[in-house]
Amino acid sequence: MTALTTTPAQDETSGWRTALPHVVPFLGILVLALLLPFVSNDYWVLIGTRAAIYWVLISGLNLVVGFAGHLAIGYVALLTLGAYTTSVLVAGNVIPAVPVFAALPIAGLVGAVFGVIVGLPALRLRTFYFAMSTLGFATIVTQIALAWQSVTGGGIGITGPEFPAPFNTAWGFYGLCIAFAAVTTWMSANVARSRFGRALIAVRDAEVAAEATGISKPKMLIAIFLFAGALAAIAGGLFATLQTYITPDAFTFDLSVLFFIAILIGGRGSILGPLLGTIILTILPEIAAPLAAWSTFLYAVLLLVIVLVMPGGIAALLDFRNRRPLASNRSIVPRPAALAEIVRQRKGGKLLKLRGIELAFGNVKAIDGLDLDVTPAQIHGLIGPNGSGKTTTLNVISGYYAAKAGNMTLGDEALPPGQPTLRAPCGIARTFQTPRVIGEASVLQNVMIGGSIEGRATFVEAMLALPRNGEDERKLAAKARALLGVVGLETLADVRADRLQHSELRFIEIARALMLDPDFLLLDEPAAGLSNDEIERLAALIKAICARGTGVLLVEHHADLIFDICHQVTVLNLGRTLAAGTPAEIRVHKEVVSAYLGG
Amino acid sequence: MLASILASGLAAGAIYALVGVTYNTMFSTSRVMSFTAGQLAMLGGVFGSMFTLKLGLPIIVGFVLTLVCCAIIGIITEFVAVRPVLKSLDQHLYVLSTLAVALMIQQVAAIKWGTEPQPFPRLVGFGEAILDEKFWLPVAACAVTILCLEYLYRRTLVGRAFLAIAEDNFAARALGLPERNLRVASYALAGVIGGVAGYSGGQLLLAFFANGGLLNFYGFVPVALGGLGNNRGAIVGGLALGLFQQAANFLVGGIFSSVAVFTLFIVVLLAAPQGLFGAATARRV
Amino acid sequence: MPTSAAESLLSVSALQSGYGKIRVLHGIDVRIAAGEVVALLGPNGAGKTTLLRALSGLLPVTSGQVHFDGSDMTNATPRDAARAGLVHVIEGHRVFTQISVTDNLLLAGYDLPRAERATRVEEALSFFPEIAEKRHERGGALSGGQQQMLTVAQGLVRRPRLLMLDEPSAGLSPVLVDRVLNVIGQLRRQGTAVLLVEQLLEKALACADRVYALVQGNIVLEAPTSESDLPHRLERAYFGHESHALSG
Repeated sequence: MTALTTTPAQDETSGWRTALPHVVPFLGILVLALLLPFVSNDYWVLIGTRAAIYWVLISGLNLVVGFAGHLAIGYVALLTLGAYTTSVLVAGNVIPAVPVFAALPIAGLVGAVFGVIVGLPALRLRTFYFAMSTLGFATIVTQIALAWQSVTGGGIGITGPEFPAPFNTAWGFYGLCIAFAAVTTWMSANVARSRFGRALIAVRDAEVAAEATGISKPKMLIAIFLFAGALAAIAGGLFATLQTYITPDAFTFDLSVLFFIAILIGGRGSILGPLLGTIILTILPEIAAPLAAWSTFLYAVLLLVIVLVMPGGIAALLDFRNRRPLASNRSIVPRPAALAEIVRQRKGGKLLKLRGIELAFGNVKAIDGLDLDVTPAQIHGLIGPNGSGKTTTLNVISGYYAAKAGNMTLGDEALPPGQPTLRAPCGIARTFQTPRVIGEASVLQNVMIGGSIEGRATFVEAMLALPRNGEDERKLAAKARALLGVVGLETLADVRADRLQHSELRFIEIARALMLDPDFLLLDEPAAGLSNDEIERLAALIKAICARGTGVLLVEHHADLIFDICHQVTVLNLGRTLAAGTPAEIRVHKEVVSAYLGG
Repeated sequence: MLASILASGLAAGAIYALVGVTYNTMFSTSRVMSFTAGQLAMLGGVFGSMFTLKLGLPIIVGFVLTLVCCAIIGIITEFVAVRPVLKSLDQHLYVLSTLAVALMIQQVAAIKWGTEPQPFPRLVGFGEAILDEKFWLPVAACAVTILCLEYLYRRTLVGRAFLAIAEDNFAARALGLPERNLRVASYALAGVIGGVAGYSGGQLLLAFFANGGLLNFYGFVPVALGGLGNNRGAIVGGLALGLFQQAANFLVGGIFSSVAVFTLFIVVLLAAPQGLFGAATARRV
Repeated sequence: MPTSAAESLLSVSALQSGYGKIRVLHGIDVRIAAGEVVALLGPNGAGKTTLLRALSGLLPVTSGQVHFDGSDMTNATPRDAARAGLVHVIEGHRVFTQISVTDNLLLAGYDLPRAERATRVEEALSFFPEIAEKRHERGGALSGGQQQMLTVAQGLVRRPRLLMLDEPSAGLSPVLVDRVLNVIGQLRRQGTAVLLVEQLLEKALACADRVYALVQGNIVLEAPTSESDLPHRLERAYFGHESHALSG
């Protein structure tokens, strides 16, 4: 389980030390699982086998539900698919019989393909719609299994595959399933702890911010749907062996409910929690026999309790570190000077140029022929009354809106309109009016999100914990820690972001944007909600960023901040430039003053 | 064959349409899609069979009791699964909380009522073959429900308050409308509509606990087709779905009809996430 | 106009409010006497709308007190506030587009007895003959200015003691602005107090008795409109040079 030690660290020993608390529970569960056959009877080995098989499926599904936040409630369908594919291939009633160890990977492939097909709606839709489409898929798979008699045996069923010795005994098969479970735990934990896992959570909780850091949602989702589908189908093959004989009745919707609820009880964004959830839900009906009939009801009650009372699930209960109170009198003390060690000094550089930008929402013209130049190593202020188009301008530059007319260029190259994920590679980073951070992730992870596109390892490399992934992680973590030092939040690096104050979130966003080492930084009301002291520190920080050669576009209501630090100021009104010039010119500009006062 | 497709298609379609309206009624005041919609329709069948067949109550008494029970379940849903999660609507916790309640309803029905489909009594005793009451009753119930809803929304102040909350919840609250009470009322109304769907379709679908999950899906398809909160879309979508499904059933057989429905659903979701008639319901909040 | 605690209709003390973790208002003190027209001015993002929403119960008050007409209205529901006569006309002429003008007004009097409701609707319409003509049309068929009049009329259905108007002039032509703001004069003559959030400084000063200026969630200025150099003092307050001058 060396891969679990990919925690950032300066040297190997401290790496082990920080990783140990994460690994120990898994090792403990593995040891208990291996001891089980020696201390109990065949009945409990059967239960253990079942839990292991369920976990093979759930470890993949966990990335879909717990990390990506897609409510896939019909995964029993992929279990069914895997079970029938393996059984049919091994039985040889359609094509010549295939050995079980070949049939299992084939089932995995089939499952991966269907995993993507079922997952496709998730690219456009979330929550209820997606839940419904997986539910619908589960309904029709059962119907097909019943009706396609020539292949599936219909209601009569089909014999499950049998494994060769030594896996054909209860204990041998148990060992095999535990081995599968251990490997899938390892792989899903690797994915979860890599930049891919962070990106999944980012897309889940802060999709807009994720796009601005260059994370491409479709690629990410397809990767995990392949992974989860394959694991579910392999679990299906094992399940068919365990059952020895399968009929459509074996795959009730109750199983789907168990898979889904095990993850939510375990807690989103955790591996250990859902693992414990799976074990508990598998054992619960067994130790309380009268409850067996009511098991689904019990699961449903648990689900309701989790949603209403304990949204973090088991993982939150086990998260002792984040229950320690934070210092209430803490203050943000940025060290802008440290920027020099992290951000490269630019000389000259390209101009970000907007010409004749127009954008309308319905009949309302939000931007009406706007020209704007953002110069490297300068701070450009953008001010104006509410609804004058300031944030909209940022959103056009960031690609969230495609302008109706006009063009944007970066140096000599056109910026493609309406494609937010392409901004980060161009060196344009931004923050948001309402901080968009991932509450459930640590501060450090939030900042690391900003450097997602700098990672070089592929999904498969991350899954198998190959060296390149470790290298990525170390680099990103080191840079993120250094930037947290720059914005003055390094002591909070390991704290869950939702425990922080509003002003701290604003500085996290700036650190995240700096991970890109951006040529241009767009700041959307960074001073809103900050105290006067904090605004002064923010001003120093922005100046330091600019001094490294980054062009800053600053949207702000605090007139004093704008006049204090900007080189150029553009005043918008009704989507048009009302005035542009130096702060000194703008300050005495008649129309500006009256626009501000309302004239 | 065409006549049978029409009869069974319209009957099933009317039930789907009513379940779709049940979804919409809950959605309009709360922005919540609830998994209990299909369960309410299932309960309409189960309660109906229980009151009239098992307990031998007169049909009209059984019908009223069924609706009252469904309305109560609707209200319970609002209190248990909707109200607590409304504050964080953007986290979509309602998907989980209403799923939990739906599973509880289904499990209790399975245990207390039984897992086998049970017969539903004949209500009117009029019509046979393709004009059998099990075919025309759901269609008639659907028509009457639409008329009642039209009256509610066009002629009564409560109905207009529902429309106001559906269009702009914030403005409605600012105006001092009793938004919470109206929401509870709409969940009771949804319970009644679901109950009507299940009761009128009882002879077609029988009193069967597993109908809940099935109707959840088949009732949601018209909502997806017609656009969230659009009752006209749901009715047209529901009837179209029923005809499509029964036509596929007769023409290519049972398995492929469900595959066809599912494919249709996925294609519509991917091509027109707002539904085919969804543009009309575009809201500014 | 002097106001003391005894005679103020609305008295707000040390009020804090905001959105979730973001605190927008940092301890607001405001008093409004019966029949007084007060303008609430301030740059964008200062928290004017937030203050109105906190007063009418649309946003939670995290600390501080709101007293209205002798009773504690801190964290009352919007419904209770409206019933007590503290009526909030929100920004952005948000009328209900699917239902008729009359229905829009009837909804504003939802709790009233049926007969009373009809009377009140007629009364509110009498302020705005131009929308009275269109009473059977859908709210969506009105122009922006007419929709704004309709929202003000909705507020009037309650016969408010204090009417809070949030940017009633936004997006209207000058003629319509005068039309809407004229109503404020009429209301004052009837003894209705008005709290007006307004971007157009001159218009606001013309129809108000007194102003409060809100900058970054704090009241930085309070003055009667009769004061001569008010525009200059406001200018300085906005641009951050009078942030300590909380004088009268």
